[in-house]
Amino acid sequence: MNTQSAPSVRAIARIVFVCSVLPGFAAAARAATTPADTAALPFPLVERFENFGEKDGLPSHKVHSVLKTKDGKLWLGTNNGLCLHEPDGKFRCYGSKDGLSHPTVLWMAEDPGTGDLWLATMQGLSRFSGGQFTVFTQTNSGLPNNVVYAVAVIDDTIWAATAAGTGAYHLKTKSWNIYDQNNTVMEEPWCYSVAAGNGVVYLGVWAGGIVEHDPKTGSFKAYRDPDGDFQFQLTPDSGPIVDVTSGVAYGDDILWQSTYFGLSRYDTKQATWRTWVQDKTPLVSNFINTVFARGRVAWLATDRGASVTDGTSWVNYLVDENGRGVVRIYRPGQEPETRPMTTALVDGFVTAIWADDHEAWFATSNGVSHGVFSAPTDSPTVASNP
Amino acid sequence: MKIFEFCLMALIAAAPAGAVPTGAAGGDTNAAPPAAPAEVPSSPSAPATLPRFIYGTAGEKYPYYAGLPKELLPYNKIEPYERFFITRMPFRGPGRDYPPPPDLKSLRIGLLDSPKYGPNWDRSVRTREGVVLAMEEANRGRQPGDLPFELVEREGMAQWGGAANVTSDLADDKVLGFLGTIDGAEAHVALRVTLKTEIVMINTSDPDPSLTETMIPWLIRVFPDQRLEEAKLAELIVHRFGCRRIAILREGDRYGRLGVHSFMAFARRLGCPAVQELLFKPGGSDIRHQIAAIKDSQPDAIFFIGEPDDIGRFAKQFRQEGIQARFFGTNLLMDDRFLQNAGEAAEGMTITYFFDLARQDPLWGRFVARFKERWGHEPDAYAAYAYDGAQIMINAVQRAGPNRWRIRDQVCNLDFYQGVTGWMQFDAIGNNIAPVPLARFEHGRWVFEPEPEFSPSVAQR
Repeated sequence: MNTQSAPSVRAIARIVFVCSVLPGFAAAARAATTPADTAALPFPLVERFENFGEKDGLPSHKVHSVLKTKDGKLWLGTNNGLCLHEPDGKFRCYGSKDGLSHPTVLWMAEDPGTGDLWLATMQGLSRFSGGQFTVFTQTNSGLPNNVVYAVAVIDDTIWAATAAGTGAYHLKTKSWNIYDQNNTVMEEPWCYSVAAGNGVVYLGVWAGGIVEHDPKTGSFKAYRDPDGDFQFQLTPDSGPIVDVTSGVAYGDDILWQSTYFGLSRYDTKQATWRTWVQDKTPLVSNFINTVFARGRVAWLATDRGASVTDGTSWVNYLVDENGRGVVRIYRPGQEPETRPMTTALVDGFVTAIWADDHEAWFATSNGVSHGVFSAPTDSPTVASNP
Repeated sequence: MKIFEFCLMALIAAAPAGAVPTGAAGGDTNAAPPAAPAEVPSSPSAPATLPRFIYGTAGEKYPYYAGLPKELLPYNKIEPYERFFITRMPFRGPGRDYPPPPDLKSLRIGLLDSPKYGPNWDRSVRTREGVVLAMEEANRGRQPGDLPFELVEREGMAQWGGAANVTSDLADDKVLGFLGTIDGAEAHVALRVTLKTEIVMINTSDPDPSLTETMIPWLIRVFPDQRLEEAKLAELIVHRFGCRRIAILREGDRYGRLGVHSFMAFARRLGCPAVQELLFKPGGSDIRHQIAAIKDSQPDAIFFIGEPDDIGRFAKQFRQEGIQARFFGTNLLMDDRFLQNAGEAAEGMTITYFFDLARQDPLWGRFVARFKERWGHEPDAYAAYAYDGAQIMINAVQRAGPNRWRIRDQVCNLDFYQGVTGWMQFDAIGNNIAPVPLARFEHGRWVFEPEPEFSPSVAQR
């Protein structure tokens, strides 16, 4: 295990970083002349990172997904297999030779009823149950396409977001439904993400915004970019920031949409939208690979680090030009606060995040980071309603 | 704002030791390199072919909305809250310092073909010919000890999402980059996979404007898109010909839907919303109702979007029904099938096309000769753009070495490239936005409208 900051030198990333973070350091300098703000944040703050990479036994530098299951096991979906983080700190990995449909594991979901692990891979959907893999492909099942970007377990149904629609596999009947441009409001069937809402299913659709499906009524509703153009966002807070959705997540009546153009948030009770772009808000980067929701808080995996927000307060975890960790904290109505960290994310290109009240795990393009939270006095578990 | 910093060209793309171009790829192998524009300095240590590749600089600003006139921009009387696509999207992930793959025996470049028997198969064959020629020429120029280039071909699947499977296969094939494909839906699906596999993609033939609008920094497109074509046509129809009543007949599929989107918007912004937009089934023959409706709308211009055999057949029927409106179409109509089916109705058809295939400049002329020698027939635009796209990929591999992330940097940081098709200019999201010329069918042949030659120096002015 490496608790030091990422050592590799990446000149281009550093140039970009210096340009983006210098204003933050200026703010930090200002903050040094005023009393430090100790107001609590509405979500946990990462105090340090514990980093793992290929030298620790990971079979690939690139980690696409991370999941901690109910039994406390940590699973990593890498570019070269599914890996379990053993109690002794080693990684036990599974690949194609073990029955996994493809070594690239893009997303994972746990069936809370059985403990089965469902795996979205580049060549099919795999179920890991009792140490055995079962593979679902477009030729041996009703899976719409073999490239599966995301999977979710919602009640007794497995939802698989694929390159040609979303497949719903009903565990009790062992039957499939396919949702695509032929039977839903999707213009294109390219699905990227799926999340459970309050009795509904949200599909993140490439070039189709967000599709809300109510399995009880069979209805579909699309949330689309109101200005209808990728080149700009005409007005803020008016709807999904763009129709190219990279991820959706839901918690406590809040629907989050991650995109490569910024972040959108939909309050399903109030029917109101908010949006964030990097140049005008604390959002660390418009390029958000995935979003993870816990309660009313979103954890954003971006190409420039990680952002955490409830929509009002923000915390950004960055890696500076020397590979050191930096945290920037934005509280409403206050100057941003920038602090150095003793450790850094293993890499700034974060692909996915999993978090609970006690810890966070960050999948990156160069390994995985374990975020250890600071003392609970600074980290209440329930976010305020912004 | 200074748009193009030529003085820094190529400096950000320093080739690693052992990856210096051999001189074979990167352009016209049998000829001296063309004279570079005076504004483009050439590094003393750089190979002679480098002026063909002009790279961008960090933080550079690029033309907004393909550099179109303001009157064609959406919501052009107000400033939007946020503009995207004005700076180049970086790739901030790791990889540039990764060692070469072990036991490398060749430099693999992928080609995603279109499905056989589909509407794009013929174009795909011509695309392949351009790519193969570029690869063969590059390999002839390799020095002893250099790894050869190897083309890894994968045929697309005629189903939604099929290109995703094939692109995943290309990653398993360990290609360093890939080219393709023609169909817009397939190209989109392939692009999504590239973000996961981190393998750069050069598209040489998909005109769908939305392909590059997904902010994925692993793509450029050397092929001018429909937005450029349709902006040109809309301005021509309204401003030059003074037409006010524009009717549209288009394919009722994704190609037609996306194809008409920009044109409808441009015509509306110019004060002439389409009086009709009617669809037909590709391959269909009975369009009596569409003709009647369009005739009733008394159009003075008709814009066709579809395959050349369909449009040729329908253009003839329009004339037979006494409709005298001017005819306009896209590049697909420069095809013998259109002329055969349209007969005399082809006369006066005005289209956008990428460049004059009969032009006399030496770079194009030498390419045509080499292509003809290799394949026994002359190249078309698909073959030529494929050749240029393959040259860009080959050059990137030679400069960057067998490292996918550094190859991406080479490909995606291009500002200008002079290929056999002419000078290309790339915007922030990798579109070739060089001007698209007009061609009109007159007296039995396509006549290109004379235009000032496009080059970086012209663009800079």
